[in-house]
Amino acid sequence: MSGPTYPTTRRRTRLDAQFDRIRAREEAGLAKSGGGSRAVKKFLNNRLAVFGLIVFAIIILSSIFAPLLTPYDPNKIDLRGMLQAPSWEHWFGTDRTGRDLFARVLYGGRISILVGLGSAILAAIIGVLIGVYTGYVGGWLDALAMRVSEIFMSFPQIILVLMLVSIMGQSLVNLMLIFTLTGWGGIYRMARARMLSLREEEYVLALRSFGLSRPLIAYKHMLPNALGPIMVNITLSTAAFILQEAGLSFLGLGVPLSIPTWGNILNVAQDIRVLQTNWWIWLPVGMVISLFVLSVNFIGDGLRDATDPSQQG
Amino acid sequence: MLTYIIRRVLILIPMAFVICFLVYLGLELTPGDAVSHMINPDAAGSMNPTQLEALRQSLGLGQPFHVRFWSWFTNLLQGNFGYSMSGGVPIANIIATRLPATLELAAVALVFSTLIGSLLGVLSALKRGSKTDSALTVIGMLGVSIPEFFFGLVAISIFALNLGWFPVGGRSMPGYVTLWDRLPHMVMPAMVLSIMLTAGVMRYARSSMLDALSRDFIKTARSKGLPEWRVNLLHGFRVALTPVVVLIGFRLPVLIGGSVIIEQVFQWPGIGNEFISAVRSQDYPVVMTIALLSVMAVLVASLIVDILTAVIDPRVRLGE
Repeated sequence: MSGPTYPTTRRRTRLDAQFDRIRAREEAGLAKSGGGSRAVKKFLNNRLAVFGLIVFAIIILSSIFAPLLTPYDPNKIDLRGMLQAPSWEHWFGTDRTGRDLFARVLYGGRISILVGLGSAILAAIIGVLIGVYTGYVGGWLDALAMRVSEIFMSFPQIILVLMLVSIMGQSLVNLMLIFTLTGWGGIYRMARARMLSLREEEYVLALRSFGLSRPLIAYKHMLPNALGPIMVNITLSTAAFILQEAGLSFLGLGVPLSIPTWGNILNVAQDIRVLQTNWWIWLPVGMVISLFVLSVNFIGDGLRDATDPSQQG
Repeated sequence: MLTYIIRRVLILIPMAFVICFLVYLGLELTPGDAVSHMINPDAAGSMNPTQLEALRQSLGLGQPFHVRFWSWFTNLLQGNFGYSMSGGVPIANIIATRLPATLELAAVALVFSTLIGSLLGVLSALKRGSKTDSALTVIGMLGVSIPEFFFGLVAISIFALNLGWFPVGGRSMPGYVTLWDRLPHMVMPAMVLSIMLTAGVMRYARSSMLDALSRDFIKTARSKGLPEWRVNLLHGFRVALTPVVVLIGFRLPVLIGGSVIIEQVFQWPGIGNEFISAVRSQDYPVVMTIALLSVMAVLVASLIVDILTAVIDPRVRLGE
């Protein structure tokens, strides 16, 4: 066991092979310099991230072009065709009122992705607007923003969301507002922390001595240097919001049931008979949600590795 | 050390107070007051406004906002959380009957996810870059990507409906009360909840272990000629696990959130289940009280985590 030292006993991994290939290319004088950003190349080298990107694109595109992919209306009730198992006519079968489930999954994707991505972007805008400025300026404003975010973040998220749903009532817009309200804290903290370290950079000192106004320094000159982690955060919170929408709608407390969303399709699976005999109602849509969230998470991870080398594991 | 603890507690108190105030504000803003829920709508229609007003006055609802808040708040401190709108049961009683079920599930899930998560995380760190590592990373990703309720549905469909190994839901059959009788009911919800939590612990354990393995003392241990397993287990593992165990406190919000949904899927008669039905029936006092208690639990847990971290790592106390 007391054999040779660490580097030589280590088994060769995929990274080693990759490194050797790069070295061989360099020695042959073929190493490309320039041409495409380094982060993009790194992202495209990450297999899982590319897989995520492809799945993500497929699901988003098929939701957007839903009318081209299915002739059915997601809300059209057909009582003669209730609870049909998947067939050539209805790829995912039909539900209890005879609505075509494939159409519902496609059109439902529009709303679910809108809620997830929309709330994530709104939350990011608010979090970044507050975090970048207060992080740069500091002082009482910073302390106040920090306390407020602490209060929001000390609630378990789902509890706060459900509490607000019970106060504000159920609607699509309300749900997005609630997600924004409960989700800005994370990205605010990240933006603020980034600003605290950027604040000490020399270029900021230079800008300040030129007499630039504080918002201009913070938003125009410092913010671009924090974009990487912000993008990562947006993707990861999109995934989280889509999961939450699905969970809430499954409980019947998310988007109103009249609007098809992924969670609303799953709502009927609370009925044990549906669970037992009509697997096609809940299984495919559950898998679509999982696959979509997985792809978003892979993209987020790939972005993190590509933009922030210190986080790489 | 004592001053550090005192300082942390002093930061906590105003925050807890502000949260109580916000929750009370939410309670005031929601439609209806105590009177409208004490009388059924038919009777309320036949009562004249002066009678209603008299009832309001007798309950202290005519007093100014700050007086009402203060009496609510002092009651809260004495463990008197008010009454549920449906049935008028004291909320404290509801909590007392529901809490054990939730704690039971949470404790099992916490223990399992910590054990499995840290083992897998450390394994993945030791085999960094290998097939095992990538497989575990993908599995961990799946764990955070599959909706927990969907996972529960799949489990029910396979193990309860098709195989019939476990009951579909609930905590016990009527008339059977011993732990042994309840065990089959607990297996599925506890497993689903643990698996959901495991992914997070695993990721954290992996990075913590990688961090530990890159330290100088590992190189020293290795250059002393210690066998590899001793270096990894005795020197790396021990250091890596301390933060993992301490940070379990921070998993509490995830645990609470997860159990709200899991309890619903498996009809587990816990606090989360009660919370959902209160939200559905717009029983605001119950909603607010449970929310308040969960925040307090999170605050106390984070306080304990802070103190434990300071005990382990003196640099934390001196900084800040």
